[in-house]
Amino acid sequence: MNSLELTQCIVNALLLSGTLALVAIGFSIVWGILNIINLAHGAFLMIGAYITYWLFTLYGVDPFLSLPISMILLFIGGYLVQRYLINFVIRAPLLVTFLLTFALEIIIMNLAVVFWKGDLRSVTPSYAGMGFALGEVQVPYVRLAAFILSLILTGLLHLFMTYTKMGNAIRATGMDIDAAKLQGVKIGHTYAVTFALGAALAAAAGSLISISFPIDPTMGGAYTLRAFVICVLGGLGSIPGVMMGALLYAFIEVFSGIWAPSLKDAIALLVLVLVLIVRPTGIAGKAFYH
Amino acid sequence: MNVEEKKAPIRITRFDGLFRGRQRLLSGLSGVLFAFLFIFPLFASGFWLNTLTSLLLLAAMAEGWNFIGGYTGYAAFGNVAFFGIGAYGTALSMTKLHWPFFPGMIVGVAAAVAFAIVFGLPILRLKGHYFAIATVALATATGEVANSWTSFTGGSAGITLPFFHPMQLSGQYFYYLSLLLVVFGLFLTWYIMKRKLGYSWVAVREDEEAANMMGINTTWAKVTAFALSAVMAGFAGGIYAYWRTFVLAEEVFKIDYTLQMILATVFGGPGTIFGPFIGAFIYYILVTILVFFLPIGQLHATLLGTIIILVMVFTPKGIMDFISGKRKLTWRALLENVRIYRV
Repeated sequence: MNSLELTQCIVNALLLSGTLALVAIGFSIVWGILNIINLAHGAFLMIGAYITYWLFTLYGVDPFLSLPISMILLFIGGYLVQRYLINFVIRAPLLVTFLLTFALEIIIMNLAVVFWKGDLRSVTPSYAGMGFALGEVQVPYVRLAAFILSLILTGLLHLFMTYTKMGNAIRATGMDIDAAKLQGVKIGHTYAVTFALGAALAAAAGSLISISFPIDPTMGGAYTLRAFVICVLGGLGSIPGVMMGALLYAFIEVFSGIWAPSLKDAIALLVLVLVLIVRPTGIAGKAFYH
Repeated sequence: MNVEEKKAPIRITRFDGLFRGRQRLLSGLSGVLFAFLFIFPLFASGFWLNTLTSLLLLAAMAEGWNFIGGYTGYAAFGNVAFFGIGAYGTALSMTKLHWPFFPGMIVGVAAAVAFAIVFGLPILRLKGHYFAIATVALATATGEVANSWTSFTGGSAGITLPFFHPMQLSGQYFYYLSLLLVVFGLFLTWYIMKRKLGYSWVAVREDEEAANMMGINTTWAKVTAFALSAVMAGFAGGIYAYWRTFVLAEEVFKIDYTLQMILATVFGGPGTIFGPFIGAFIYYILVTILVFFLPIGQLHATLLGTIIILVMVFTPKGIMDFISGKRKLTWRALLENVRIYRV
């Protein structure tokens, strides 16, 4: 590998890390606050990607403009799922919520395959293939824009969690549910909003992914697993931690994809198992949600 | 923990009498089922014999999952790795070493058990979600290695095994072999649950730290549970390989198998001797037969997902409680779970 390829790989990994951070942050707040692993996270991401695809294909809506639409729709969907389904069993043993969200993923994926077919599709706006060159290194516009938007959304989430009443309620619930109740926080509503935020962030990530990569109904599972690995690498519940985790993971993925393409996922997963064995609560440990 | 700990009432399987109360009905039901299963090949063949063989293999794997997931309370989501390793071990020793089936199967099971011990020792230190995902990751990674290590496993071309002779008896042969495995699993469960090892599994499930304080070697307990679930899945994988005469990584490492064994156990009742066995039947009746007769096209995964959600919300401890009359099937009983665990 010469230095040009190396630089290109580093740039690719950096650009990838933004979107991956967005995927993982939604997953991380749901895990941190609600203490459930949302296995349907990737399925929400897939729906977000398809909303962008259909808005673009049927009505010619610019993919970046469809971002708020998919976020709002998934926010509503996520709120309803949590409020009227998961809230009923939220404190049950791990296996129950695990299988419940797994079943949700199965249903969403199956419906998507039946109604939208299993074909690979891509969103191709006029500027899709364009980019600029930094020296010899190619930087595609859409991936740069996705990276920047991811950072903006992450920043907005941080501001929301720190400066709004709802955000404080969410954090308080994550820290101590009884104390939060005593302060008048409505737990059912707060949980639903948290889950809805996670779904909306997944949708945003899905919309951004659909512009740079081809999409299909089964794309979600891989992203759920990635989100988990990133949360473990970065530690649960801290936004900077998740971003560091995403950066680390993006480098592992890009470089193992070059040296051993067929073992790409295996390497990432073995890194996960190794990290867990050495540091059972992730590299950064637990942060502010706990 | 940020979520309020509110434990369900402790349930410890009755060890003192196998044929008492709930266990009596479960074993009665199982007796009828076994009589039926034993004579089944006399009047059926082809499709139904194959379906029943798959069902029995699932029941055997569910019995294995019950050791780690049901009795020991560790949500293992990667047990398909043992199935796949058992299948590959059998296939490789039969094709590369030209060994007969039984020694080959032993190699497969030994490989699965070795895998369970080597990886179980570190990952069984993890708890809850971390353990669950670590097992998923391990199973997925193992499948991917099997798929890409072309020189050893044949890669995506798979391995073709020799056929069973005589051909016309093949259906019955594998059917009875699977039945034998299921009976072995039931006996093993019953035998262990009468002994100290069984008690230590339940102790780990109820409170691992307290169990440790009481002098139970929790690491030993967890690793044996994990390794014994590998024994069951490894045997099932070996039988599967020779029965289908074809092993492919994408097929034998499918996460669907893990899901099926968990669902079978949960449907029947985790932490009971006959639960996984009965649950495998319920699962198959719901999925295979319902889908076979219902005109719902490609929506059967949606149907399966809906069934899982309903079971998880209303009867996460299995439906055997209702069948055995331990609890009456009322709206109140169905909503009990929601009443305890909702926010």
